[in-house]
Amino acid sequence: MQFSLSPSVRKSITLIYHFAERESKSRYKRSLLGWFWSFLNPLVTVGVYWFIFGAVYRAEPPMTGNGNAESFGLYLFTGLIIWTLFTGLVEGSMEWLTSVSDLRKKIYFPTETALLGGAASNLVQTLLEVMVLVVIMGALSNIGWTLVFLPVAMVLALGFGLGLGFIVSVLNARYRDVKYLMGILLNVAFFAVPIVYTPELLESEEIPEAARVLVEWNPVALFIEISRDAAYFLQVPLWNRFLAALAWSVTTFVVGWVFFRKQSMSISEEP
Amino acid sequence: MTVGAIIVDGVSKRFRLERNRPSSLKEAVLRVGRTRDADEFWVLKNVDLDIAPGSFFGLIGHNGSGKSTLLRLMAGIHRPTVGSVEATGRLSALLELGTGFHPDLTGRENVYLNGAMLGISRKQMTASMDDIIEFSGIGDFVDEPVKIYSSGMYVRLGFAVAVNVSPDILLVDEVIAVGDEEFQRRCLKHMDMLRDRGTTIVLVSHNTDLMDECHQVGWLDHGKLVKVGTPGDVVSAYLQMVDSSENTLRAHDI
Ligand SMILES: Nc1ncnc2c1ncn2[C@@H]1O[C@H](COP(=O)(O)OP(=O)(O)OP(=O)(O)O)[C@@H](O)[C@H]1O
Ligand SMILES: [Mg+2]
Repeated sequence: MQFSLSPSVRKSITLIYHFAERESKSRYKRSLLGWFWSFLNPLVTVGVYWFIFGAVYRAEPPMTGNGNAESFGLYLFTGLIIWTLFTGLVEGSMEWLTSVSDLRKKIYFPTETALLGGAASNLVQTLLEVMVLVVIMGALSNIGWTLVFLPVAMVLALGFGLGLGFIVSVLNARYRDVKYLMGILLNVAFFAVPIVYTPELLESEEIPEAARVLVEWNPVALFIEISRDAAYFLQVPLWNRFLAALAWSVTTFVVGWVFFRKQSMSISEEP
Repeated sequence: MTVGAIIVDGVSKRFRLERNRPSSLKEAVLRVGRTRDADEFWVLKNVDLDIAPGSFFGLIGHNGSGKSTLLRLMAGIHRPTVGSVEATGRLSALLELGTGFHPDLTGRENVYLNGAMLGISRKQMTASMDDIIEFSGIGDFVDEPVKIYSSGMYVRLGFAVAVNVSPDILLVDEVIAVGDEEFQRRCLKHMDMLRDRGTTIVLVSHNTDLMDECHQVGWLDHGKLVKVGTPGDVVSAYLQMVDSSENTLRAHDI
């Protein structure tokens, strides 16, 4: 039996592919080393963080799953991969929608394909970072079957980030303030997520209970915990965390999608 | 519905005017709860129109009467505020300068992008690429970003794409007037060819000679479709109106 897609779905797929390709090409346009930067960038980031927090501040990272490495750099990296994916989606969405809004005023196409294409390109970038992580972890022989949860964490973060991206991109098309507002919020949010510190650090008398709950149960922290369990601690994520993460991701994506589908038609009428 | 048909059913379109639109988040927040005054603007009012597959339809009307807005609704760019618009089949549209072109991409990349928007794969587009470049006559400029194109070059490439993707429906909004004489003639010849092939064509123009080529002409006046009929009837009614308002103006002058 011949499997055939409806013309509108085929059209959307062609467009998503186009936008993904364009985003990936423009990322390292006019650069000689091209994709090499994709590897270099995370490596240098991890190196710098490792130096500052590991060597200068002598932060004590938790032990890895196989019990033979304590590396703050890697602890960071497992969190940073998810964080970069998340912020890349939120900030990217606004940019992707802006970049096609002039076009959309002159020709009809499903606008969400620009965001989906951009997201696909970001996902490829994240996969490259994951490859770097897995290679390093392999060298330290800190590898186990729990790695299968790493892509799960990525997909959850993708759903949440894209869902949020759908909403903020439409708002940003109307009021450019949204971009600046999100820039600030994300900067603050970075510290509400245990990336440069461990959640255990919060278990002190001086820190109010509410702050701890926020840090432990905010969606991005949940995704990061799952990715850490998968690649750093090599343990199965707690099921209640997993369910909470799933609920955040699915709900946000659906709400964002519905909102976007409803509002994005009026983009062609914006001056 | 048959391929190539356009059905406009009880369509009204409202735009919010700029002066009424909050331009920043702060303003938007300050305005919450305040009643929006009536600075809304109905560009189209209860338009009903059936265009049969394969027909050549012309639209005339004064500046700002809503012709381009009606075409945009047909192209799916805007959604009607009231009513519905259905256009079945592959639709290609030349609505204004730079229709569907992304300024930073080269002409060639834009051709692929336009194809993608019509659901045409890269491979199929590559097959018709030579025809498109040939028709447009822009030569090596096809590999330059379109932002450096002249107005005429924009239109040439746009038209070349629009007619070379075998559309079921072609919407053209005045743009060909930007091309030089030679190109305009070529466009008209090509539109004739498409019409013979059964493509539905909707053409907006202030050129009443062009209207004579149409099967049917519609006249829009302040957002209302006041008359639809044979070119002879509608164009003369339109011209009569223009003449009479000119006379009133003159009467005022004296
Ligand atoms: N996005 C928009 N927002 C607000 N008003 C708009 C918008 N687009 C068009 N209008 C208004 O709608 C009215 C009709 O515009 P339209 O472009 O359809 O006229 P037209 O008949 O094509 O005129 P012309 O002969 O000058 O091309 C104009 O008054 C225009 O200012
Ligand atoms: Mg117009």
